[in-house]
Amino acid sequence: MDSDEDFGMSSEEDVLEDSENDNESADGTDFGIDEPEPDLGYTQKEQVKKEKKTFDTTFKVYHPDDIQAQQDDLIDEVNMILDIRKEDAAILLRHFRWNKERLIEDYMDRPRKVLEDAGLGPSTTGPPKLEVIRGFMCDICCEDEPGLQSFAMKCGHRYCADCYRQYLNQKIKEEGEAARIQCPQDGCKRILDAKSLDLLVTSELQNRYHELLTRTYVEDKEQLKWCPAPDCQNAIECGIKKKDLDRVVPTVACDCKHRFCFGCGLADHQPAPCDLVKKWLKKCADDSETANWISANTKECPKCNSTIEKNGGCNHMTCRKCKHEFCWMCMGLWSEHGTSWYNCNRFEEKSGSEARDAQAKSRVSLERYLHYYNRYANHEQSAKLDKDIFTKTEKKMISLQTASGMSWIEVQYLNSASHALQTCRQTLKWTYAFAFYLKRVNLTEMFEDNQKDLEMAVEALSEMFEKPVDELANPKLKVEIMDKTSYCNKRRVILLADTADNLANGAWEWSNGH
Amino acid sequence: MASTTAQRRLLQEYRALTNNPPEGITAGPVSEDDMLYWEALIQGPEGTPFEGGIFPAELKFPKDYPLAPPTMRFLGEVWHPNVYPSGLVCISILHAPGDDPNHYEHASERWSPIQSVEKILISVMSMLAEPNDESPANVEAAKMWREQRPEYEKRVREGCRRMLGL
Repeated sequence: MDSDEDFGMSSEEDVLEDSENDNESADGTDFGIDEPEPDLGYTQKEQVKKEKKTFDTTFKVYHPDDIQAQQDDLIDEVNMILDIRKEDAAILLRHFRWNKERLIEDYMDRPRKVLEDAGLGPSTTGPPKLEVIRGFMCDICCEDEPGLQSFAMKCGHRYCADCYRQYLNQKIKEEGEAARIQCPQDGCKRILDAKSLDLLVTSELQNRYHELLTRTYVEDKEQLKWCPAPDCQNAIECGIKKKDLDRVVPTVACDCKHRFCFGCGLADHQPAPCDLVKKWLKKCADDSETANWISANTKECPKCNSTIEKNGGCNHMTCRKCKHEFCWMCMGLWSEHGTSWYNCNRFEEKSGSEARDAQAKSRVSLERYLHYYNRYANHEQSAKLDKDIFTKTEKKMISLQTASGMSWIEVQYLNSASHALQTCRQTLKWTYAFAFYLKRVNLTEMFEDNQKDLEMAVEALSEMFEKPVDELANPKLKVEIMDKTSYCNKRRVILLADTADNLANGAWEWSNGH
Repeated sequence: MASTTAQRRLLQEYRALTNNPPEGITAGPVSEDDMLYWEALIQGPEGTPFEGGIFPAELKFPKDYPLAPPTMRFLGEVWHPNVYPSGLVCISILHAPGDDPNHYEHASERWSPIQSVEKILISVMSMLAEPNDESPANVEAAKMWREQRPEYEKRVREGCRRMLGL
């Protein structure tokens, strides 16, 4: 909550900040600044009560215990309503992907069919147990010694306990299967329930089994997703549907502090929508730009089509492969150039000019891409560096406390600044991918102004943040950093709100056939 | 213990195969001393270019059979998308679950202890009739099968003749 205090403290300074920035920010970008904007992106979850932004998504974080409790509740409920065993209720719920209403409705209509489909078959009572059957021979290991323990589910496919165990071990450990482990018999659809499993396997395997079962609960429910952060066991609930993803960018924040997009699971990529992010990442990853570079910087020999990069020299080209002589400028035969040595006056010919136009176009498109890519990559890199700095911030804050005699709470502003830098850079990074796909219209210009403003503020803050400890101890710099932090966060909120609004209204115009 | 399970199970399977042999398939251990090494003869399925051919193959069983699948290798040249040039057969039933060299096979198609030698040989026979060119073991054969079917069939027929010594 300390970060909120910072904003409260610095809000009076905002007027000052605004007037300072008026000359550098382009016209039309200042609206919204005067509104009180208490929001801070990375503390969204703590601010449920506060005014909700258009780019905020409602979500809830569930811890492993919550997930288990939810499942148990649902199972208990079905167990009571339908009056069936808990294990069977669990299997039915998993079969219906935890859609309790549909399960109950279907079960009321045709109980037999529902049980059959879920792999339960006609039900009889009696807990599962190992049995010794006289004259039994296991079909897997062909063991037939008297007193051999064997097991069968209600389908009657009986195997010896060892082989059954081996089979379950394989399913759970190697294949990661839990909710839909079928009878080992080929073609038998009967599903093994938790009680039978507990009877057969070791406790270690039981734990793994229940873990996998919990996992299927989250994976089966559309509005639940695992937090993708390493070692995080939480799940997030969010009501955003797949079809809404072209209208919203549902960023959620797990209790482990990881911020990610609920739509695609990638790290926070506001303001760019998921499909655009996917396209952009693909564009950056595949070699389409290599091809673009080739077409922008090379020509092909008119005779043998070898790719040639001209790195200097005159326009009289002799292809190294086929010895064809041609003019680099007009791509025509060199022999036709007559007396105009090393010079081409045939430049304006139509056939040549078309080829040249195409080349110029791909050159422009390459430059355009590189413009956006370089800035995108730069922010990505800087965010990584800022993260390194963040790890050093802790040390910095301690040394600052000893150097200046400030208290712990008084140096927290560095922490907030480092947080702001990272979130803002993350946002800035994606604004470039976003802008790459925008058409050049008024709305785009406003977006770019917002982007420019945020970028300048972030760079300024970044610079202050890197100052040595003795300068940081200066109270004036401290106030400046706090102001800049607050300003950066505000600009980020404005930019995100603006893009999210326009996205929701479908107001953006896309270029490049997006 | 593990090897006696394999022996016992293979003996059982051998008995079932001799008492009730599936059409076009003969198989059994080469010698009574080593139950883990079998030879099989498979008839080329009718209505395919393999028709009329008899294809000898060897089956090697691991010590932990039936937990792990055997390997199967044709002993003569078999020109087929799913047979490596060495004669090794590549079909899903011969792959243990969790061991998917091509990352597309469904676990239920693969080896499990309730499969058997008989099921393997039947699968191989239907594989001869219907190659799966999605993940060919013999890329050249797969290409030929896909693009130049008459030539593929001709080559297969020639292979059959050679194998019969004609």
